[in-house]
Amino acid sequence: MIVPLLVALVGVLALFLIIYLAKGHHATGCDVDALAAQLRPLDVNAFRNLIDEREEKFLRELLPGKEFRRVHRERTLAAVEYVKCAAQNAAILIRLAEAAKQAPDPAVSAAAEKLLDNALRLRLHAFHVVPRLYLGMLVPRTALAPRFVADGYDALTRQVVMLGCLQYPTRGMSSAL
Amino acid sequence: MLFVRYYLWFAPQVLSIVVLIGSVRRGLPRKLPIFFSYLVFTLVQFLTLFTISRMHPFPVLKYRLLLTLGTGINGFLILAVIYEVAEDLLLSRSALALSLRTLLRWTAAMLLLAAAIVSAALSRFDLGRAMNVFQVLDFSTSVVQCGLLLALFLFSHAFHLSWRSPATGVALGFGIDASLELANAAVLALLGRSGFIATDVAGMAAYHVSVLIWLVYVFLPERAPRFAGAGLQKSDIEFWDQEVQRMVRR
Repeated sequence: MIVPLLVALVGVLALFLIIYLAKGHHATGCDVDALAAQLRPLDVNAFRNLIDEREEKFLRELLPGKEFRRVHRERTLAAVEYVKCAAQNAAILIRLAEAAKQAPDPAVSAAAEKLLDNALRLRLHAFHVVPRLYLGMLVPRTALAPRFVADGYDALTRQVVMLGCLQYPTRGMSSAL
Repeated sequence: MLFVRYYLWFAPQVLSIVVLIGSVRRGLPRKLPIFFSYLVFTLVQFLTLFTISRMHPFPVLKYRLLLTLGTGINGFLILAVIYEVAEDLLLSRSALALSLRTLLRWTAAMLLLAAAIVSAALSRFDLGRAMNVFQVLDFSTSVVQCGLLLALFLFSHAFHLSWRSPATGVALGFGIDASLELANAAVLALLGRSGFIATDVAGMAAYHVSVLIWLVYVFLPERAPRFAGAGLQKSDIEFWDQEVQRMVRR
């Protein structure tokens, strides 16, 4: 009795979830200018500082154990916020790059393709990094330095500038990044 | 009730022909060839089964055999269509290909396992062989189909990727059909033989809804995201040139 009821419930839930997700894909598909306005500024150097292993080693030597753990937790939470912000910006850039790919100019289209590829890569990295950072917060020394997120973000910013150089409407995006 | 059953048996097939015509006009056989083959196969299957159902005396065994065989081929084609949609929308992007391909394979393997376990659990509630080979095949396909489509939608949602109109329609149609078929299989397991006609009608209605969705998406103009604003101006080029130089110097 329970198994069929559970299966029926899963079926109905799946139906609503599929409709909701499919609707979401269309609702956000058109207003690209509004998306560009949602980009949040990110200080890559400050982020690099937060994930710097030498900085962590220095703090470990300088501070007593309890104090270090508190500071380490706060630094890790701040790094998580940075990664989430980078991932959010990458998501917006994915949409912008998709729109720029439709441009008739092959140079714009190629630059957009490159931007799209790197933005996807960055978002994928961000999905891996956030759980690792949380793990590092619970068990210090276990987190892997997410240096590639900072490097990837740097590369992404350069690509946005290149794309902006080729196409008028993305002007001002690099300052937001 | 008889009229409703005949309507739900015929109408989706007639609409499928319209979808096929629309697909050809839009060049879908080139973009989504397996989906096109699936539509052709469902029409051939319908014509074959309908012809057999008109025979006197009605060859029950032959009908059931062809229905089961058709369901198996249908299931295989549906999974191939989902792979085709996934390849077109997600796996063709080099940055995601490796990770998502592995993740999708694992998802499919887990879903197959889940389908096998739940099929066995449901068959215990079966009265009078209501859960035969055809139903197990149909149910297993629905589980895998539903799970894979959900995974696809979730991946796209996570990466903020927009889907083009026809592919979204294909995925949405199959998704609705599969999720309703899942619920249907559970109801049939609960009711046994007495619920056979009701669940059969519900299953046909689900397929009817899917075909209507394909119809809408095939004729719906594609909405590509676009920028608003004027074209490139000299001052903008200079501005961006300065930006690039500043970035390179950093």
